[in-house]
Amino acid sequence: MFGYITRRLLQAVPTVLGVALLTFLLFNAVGSDPVRSALGQHASPAAIAALRHQWGLDQPLPAQFLEFLRQIVTFDYGSSFVTGEDLGTQLKSGALVSLSVTAPPFFFGIAVNVAVALFVTRHRGGFADQATRALFVAGMSVSSLVYVLVFQYVFAFKLGWFPISGYAQGPAAIAFLALPWMILLLIGMGPDIRLYRTVFVDEAQADYVRTARAKGATETVVYGRHVLANAWMPIITNTVTTIPFLILGAFLMERFFSIPGIGNLTIDALSRGDLPILKAVTVLGAIALVVFNLLSDLLYAWADPRVRLR
Amino acid sequence: MTRSRSVGAIAAILVALGLAAELQPAEAAEPKVLTQARAAPFTSLDPQAQFEQTAADLTLVLYDTLLAYSYLERPYKLEPGLLSRMPELSPDKLNYTLTLRKGVVFHDNPCFPGGKGRELTSDDVVYTLKRYADANVNHKSWFALEGSVAGLDDFHASTIKAGASPDYARIEIAGLKKIDRYTLTVRLTHENPLFLYGLAINSMAIVPVEAVQFHGARFDVNPVGTGPFTLQGPVERKGVLRLLKNPNYFGVYPAVGAPGDAERGLLKAAGKRLPIVDVVEMPLIEESQPESLKFLKGEIDWRAIDRANFTRMVVRNADGTTRLADEFAAKFDLYSTPGLDMNYLAFNLKDPLLGKNKKLRQALAHLVDTQAYIDVLLNGRGSKLNSIVPHELPGNERETGARARGHDVAAAKRLLAEAGYAEGKGLPPLAVSFPSTIAATHDRFAQMKAKFAEAGVQITPVFMDGPAFVKNVEGSNFQLAQYNWFADYPDPEDFFQLLYGKNAAPGPNLSSFVNPAYDQAYEASRYMANGPERLRYFKAMNAIIDEEVPAVVEFNSMRFGLTQKWMSNFKRNLLISELPYIDIDMARKKKGL
Repeated sequence: MFGYITRRLLQAVPTVLGVALLTFLLFNAVGSDPVRSALGQHASPAAIAALRHQWGLDQPLPAQFLEFLRQIVTFDYGSSFVTGEDLGTQLKSGALVSLSVTAPPFFFGIAVNVAVALFVTRHRGGFADQATRALFVAGMSVSSLVYVLVFQYVFAFKLGWFPISGYAQGPAAIAFLALPWMILLLIGMGPDIRLYRTVFVDEAQADYVRTARAKGATETVVYGRHVLANAWMPIITNTVTTIPFLILGAFLMERFFSIPGIGNLTIDALSRGDLPILKAVTVLGAIALVVFNLLSDLLYAWADPRVRLR
Repeated sequence: MTRSRSVGAIAAILVALGLAAELQPAEAAEPKVLTQARAAPFTSLDPQAQFEQTAADLTLVLYDTLLAYSYLERPYKLEPGLLSRMPELSPDKLNYTLTLRKGVVFHDNPCFPGGKGRELTSDDVVYTLKRYADANVNHKSWFALEGSVAGLDDFHASTIKAGASPDYARIEIAGLKKIDRYTLTVRLTHENPLFLYGLAINSMAIVPVEAVQFHGARFDVNPVGTGPFTLQGPVERKGVLRLLKNPNYFGVYPAVGAPGDAERGLLKAAGKRLPIVDVVEMPLIEESQPESLKFLKGEIDWRAIDRANFTRMVVRNADGTTRLADEFAAKFDLYSTPGLDMNYLAFNLKDPLLGKNKKLRQALAHLVDTQAYIDVLLNGRGSKLNSIVPHELPGNERETGARARGHDVAAAKRLLAEAGYAEGKGLPPLAVSFPSTIAATHDRFAQMKAKFAEAGVQITPVFMDGPAFVKNVEGSNFQLAQYNWFADYPDPEDFFQLLYGKNAAPGPNLSSFVNPAYDQAYEASRYMANGPERLRYFKAMNAIIDEEVPAVVEFNSMRFGLTQKWMSNFKRNLLISELPYIDIDMARKKKGL
């Protein structure tokens, strides 16, 4: 196991390096000049040179890339070009806020979606199955933005059940987060339930299920114990590889509900040409994806004794 | 007790209660709270380190500048801010004497002994001027005083060379001289009345040395000024900011306004101490829908109106004026004001095709249909310009009588033929550069393309983001470029300099227009006080622009917005903050009336 993890981590190094190089080229060599963005219509050559020097952008590209690699290794991404704030602090507080937006509907969603998928699988071909399938296909055809706009208008503005936007620390945040949670839960239902249903249907047609039924197992036992236990692999894959995106935030929710998470931070950085934030978020996202992919593989072995990690 | 005694006793109690209420109005009155959304997180509240709108909106109410702009009068007029009177100019027109108001105190802050704000003195002004010129602090707004004050440019250059802020106390600036606790003189390098505008920009807000030293790198979120409001901490770039009334503020509501202001009730509060409201709440709302919904619900008192809501809520009258649709007029008030900007189409005169063919440029100028663009794509949120000077500045087209070339396809075709390209034949497609890639810019190009095609002229688009666009136009790497210029100060000079020969690209003269007669008129008028003589020079320059067509002046944006009925004393001012002047009727606000 230890050897496997070490090997996978070593294999991840070129991946992260590749992402770092691409990110660096995208923002430093190809993208907009952040100095010009910052200085606007009064960018005198002296001011441009001074700011470029202050931000280290007057260094040769290889030197800048090496500095970027140092930042990746030490997890010290310096400070924002625009506000001068320490990025570590910003990312940490932003990630916690983003998690408060995304994690509850994510975990609650797993339970609900698995339960609903099991239910419609058990009653496949029936009214519930067909109705939910039609409903979810229709729901998936609608853009997330539409959900946000309509729900905010109807539930917050018209009905007044929730605040229109805003955020607070501690338990007071629940009032502000309830509507984004509801929307995220709803948006996630269609694709997840359809995926899980497909997996469950495959499992439900397997020989061991027929055997279980022949041995007199009830449908509840068949689906609750046998089908579910053997369908964990794709559920784990789908779940674990989604976790990095929880940390990176739900861009639309954070933007439209004025929630100060990583998603919002990233959009602001994009509009202001704040390279350090953009580079940090991109690379940290890639690292998180690599780590959680590995975790997903490890969980396979835990979920299915037949899987051997070599 | 007799009946008369009872009545007397009750009357006495009532009088006493009335007196008590009279003596304690502050405790009894509900705080007046004004709510206005912020559209973006601020970058820095350090006046010298910032120069962008979201930060300026805040620094303008937390700090004060030596000079400010009148709240109500138009065209915008300079008036004393922290100064007790307008600067006095010496007979040689090179020395300004600045006299500070007495008794102005900085906000209470731990940076001061005992946490009690001290009085503002001339030392603070000298310190701030040096800090403003320090390239390690100020990257963005140095242009406003560059080349103006004796010795300040050398100091600025030395800070670039040093790469770190020096000890200002050890460095004397030849042009800055403290006379006494409240007076200092500033010696200019040359006669330059535009210098006064530099004293009014928000980056020149006066800061105390103690605050800069005490808060260090965190000074950007620990503002310590003299302004009408203080910031309730802890200060966060995101979330809700709360501004609290500065009870020691010196400002009063103006007694003089522009024509029509009195009729609109804008002078009712004349002489009242500022700020009028007790609290300003500023939630960060970056998207239009939530801000709009909050406004409709009465949770926000004032907002600029976006394009979608403008179309839905605003009706254009037959005479071109605008009003709110009836269903909204009962609940809200609509305001509009011309922006201090000028949108134009620059021709690159270094381009071999356009630079040598004046008739071609004149023909193209007749193909630009600005009014149609304003009517169709801007929904009327613009005002066509006939001169390079925006409508709200002195020297505008009302004063000069300027008439620019209008959309006239017949004239364009005639001029095209004279230029050697009858019906556009033989003319290669012209590239038009745009500083944006959004859908509205694509629409803009489509409209131009259709209009140019009316005379057989083909154009192709070059859509770029802002920085890439600037890089290209400053390198004269374009043929035609759509651009806009925002006034740095409300003087026509700031716009006429856009075609001054010595400002040719990479300077702000993107067209690289060099015309000795124009340059002569510009130089003669540059530092002249507004009046008939200056207007004569403006007219001469307008005529040259119209004849030579280095650029096609297009329009001035119009700013529209909505206010709640319970808000009063509001007049949009693009140079200072309106917040200290606004009043809120809390009883109506609570009832949503």
